[in-house]
Amino acid sequence: MNNAPHILVVDDEPQIQRAIRTILTEKGFKVTTASRGEEGLTLAATNEPDLVILDLGLPDMDGVEVCTRLREWTQCPIIILSVRDSERDKVAALDKGADDYLTKPFGIEELLARVRVGLRHSASRQGTQSKVIQAGSLMIDLAWHSVKRGDEEIKLTATEYKLLAYLAANHGRVLTHQSILTNVWDPADANHTEYLRVYMRQLRKKLEVDPERPQFILTEPGIGYRFIADE
Amino acid sequence: MRSSTFISSTSKYLLAFGFIALVTAFLFTLRDALDTTLVALLYLIPLGLITAYWGLGPGITSAMMTFLSFNYFFIKPYYNFAVHRPTDVVILVIFLIVAIVISQLVGRMQASLAAATAREREATQLYELSTALAGLHDGRTIAEILAKQVQDVSQGEAVELNIAGEQSFDFRLPESSQPTRPPEWILPIQVARGTLGEIRLWRAAPALTSSEKRLLQTFASQGALALERARLAQAESRARVLEESDRLKSSILSSVSHELRTPLSTIKAAASSLRSDDVHWDSAARPELIAAIDDEADHLNMLVGNLLDMSRIESGVLKPKREWNILPEIVGSVLARMKHLAVAHRIEMDVPESLPLMPVDYVQMEQVFTNLLSNSVKYAPEKSVIHVRAFIEGESVHVVVSNQGPQVPQEHLERIFDKFFRLTDADRVTGTGLGLSICKGIIEAHGGRLWAENVPDGLAFNFTLPLIWEGVSPPTLPMDMETE
Repeated sequence: MNNAPHILVVDDEPQIQRAIRTILTEKGFKVTTASRGEEGLTLAATNEPDLVILDLGLPDMDGVEVCTRLREWTQCPIIILSVRDSERDKVAALDKGADDYLTKPFGIEELLARVRVGLRHSASRQGTQSKVIQAGSLMIDLAWHSVKRGDEEIKLTATEYKLLAYLAANHGRVLTHQSILTNVWDPADANHTEYLRVYMRQLRKKLEVDPERPQFILTEPGIGYRFIADE
Repeated sequence: MRSSTFISSTSKYLLAFGFIALVTAFLFTLRDALDTTLVALLYLIPLGLITAYWGLGPGITSAMMTFLSFNYFFIKPYYNFAVHRPTDVVILVIFLIVAIVISQLVGRMQASLAAATAREREATQLYELSTALAGLHDGRTIAEILAKQVQDVSQGEAVELNIAGEQSFDFRLPESSQPTRPPEWILPIQVARGTLGEIRLWRAAPALTSSEKRLLQTFASQGALALERARLAQAESRARVLEESDRLKSSILSSVSHELRTPLSTIKAAASSLRSDDVHWDSAARPELIAAIDDEADHLNMLVGNLLDMSRIESGVLKPKREWNILPEIVGSVLARMKHLAVAHRIEMDVPESLPLMPVDYVQMEQVFTNLLSNSVKYAPEKSVIHVRAFIEGESVHVVVSNQGPQVPQEHLERIFDKFFRLTDADRVTGTGLGLSICKGIIEAHGGRLWAENVPDGLAFNFTLPLIWEGVSPPTLPMDMETE
């Protein structure tokens, strides 16, 4: 089990540490835990984990700060843990380079899904990225700029395609409003969430079977959007 | 009485002299027919009248003048001041004494009458002030009335009232006046524990008399008492509010601990039985127990979330993070998430795509719809229809969530939004009793209004949300129409 992915868990609550360690170890991961921000940063530097699970409410420093300092030297995926109603902190951490978030209390399936997505993205950053993304009956070919549902070609406007391509390339990950607006539109438009709302709705109408119950583009309330593709 | 003071004192003397001259002229024509004693008696009449109408000064002076003209015109030898007959000397002396005594008596009577009238006026003004101040509990109104009365009584050019302390304010009458010189008189408003403020009075002429000053001082102390009473009443009502909120808090605590303990008991029972050897590895009860733990943990999480929201609403820190959002998207996502909860009901959505963008907090609006819908699901009978409608109404959007559940008695339509208010027995329905009050808090934080009404076949929740956000109307976007 030497090449088992190594996960660093930074959380000050012993019960959470225990639960996450037990479950992740059971699933075959190698787990290290830290209960303070400084300790977490030191362990991250010495152990070079494949993924960091980071609680935002740490006793010695702000989790967003830990996130910023990790991002100064490592691109390893960071998953944020936080309590409900701290959308602002979550968005801040995500915009500072965190990859995803989980709201406490969370189900273990959710945690594992986030960990898998995180590890896959860090792998694809190093290797070649797949150019065709399959999501149910939907197929997006990033090389050929084509979007098909079954055999039927879906016509998208330039902006709609750009939006979909950005979401699909990051499938599985949460993307904040700001990061989507900055990447698809322009950094100057980062506050115009209404663009995003309107285009997202149009896009869903073209892609989703039932736009009210989207299967591919999910809304993360108060945070952003997430594209769900086949594993 | 007041008008007499407007006749200047000089003209009073002139009038008195004129009157005496007139009477003298009249008596002079009858000199031969009248006896000197009778003339002396007749002279007393105008003297009394003069003193009565024009006061002691003109009275006494007229007495001296009458004495001289009586001597000059009516006592032989005529046209000089010599007196020959001893009886005439006696008549003259008696006349002088009687004239002066009458003048003084009448004058004193007049003065005491004037004093009595002035006192009566003061008493009336004081009574008017205390009647006006009675029952007032608002410091501002009290000060306004006080300033008005001071202005009425003093007839000053301007009155200014400054109240210091936590509810400090200035008040000036007339409002347009802007005196440039220092006030003629400053009157402190004092209570036992110090000075509350002061009254400044501008009145250059006539200078304030001592009785006016006395009256105004009484006014100030009356005002001070009223202000103090108002402060005490406020302190008392604050104390009552605190006591009330204290009682509410303990009722919240007891309700909450009850609500928290129910899911906890389920979790404890399920987990401990899974841990013991009672439940077999492959028993059918096993997945059921695990599901119970999972569900109840979610339920606990929701309870805690509601409590947090409620405390935020109460402490006023629930600030919506407003952005331009699409209402059908919010409703749609709530309906999608509630699908498994609402299997027994049919939810019909009539929220047109044509609605403009709305300046709302996405997460909070989701919560409003979730709470209103789950309330409807909880109380409306199975297989009934829950209807969500939205339409524009002026500069707002009006949303109606109606169900075919039981109606709420008219007198409780407001109260269902109170914390922990339940129409039915608490054991029958689970929940925190906070859902609707959270909705109300959120809608009001958005500048809207939430209310319930009975409709022919059930109950409808209505709310309005303003479309204008910080003076800006919903944006419309230019769409790019070219395709890839």
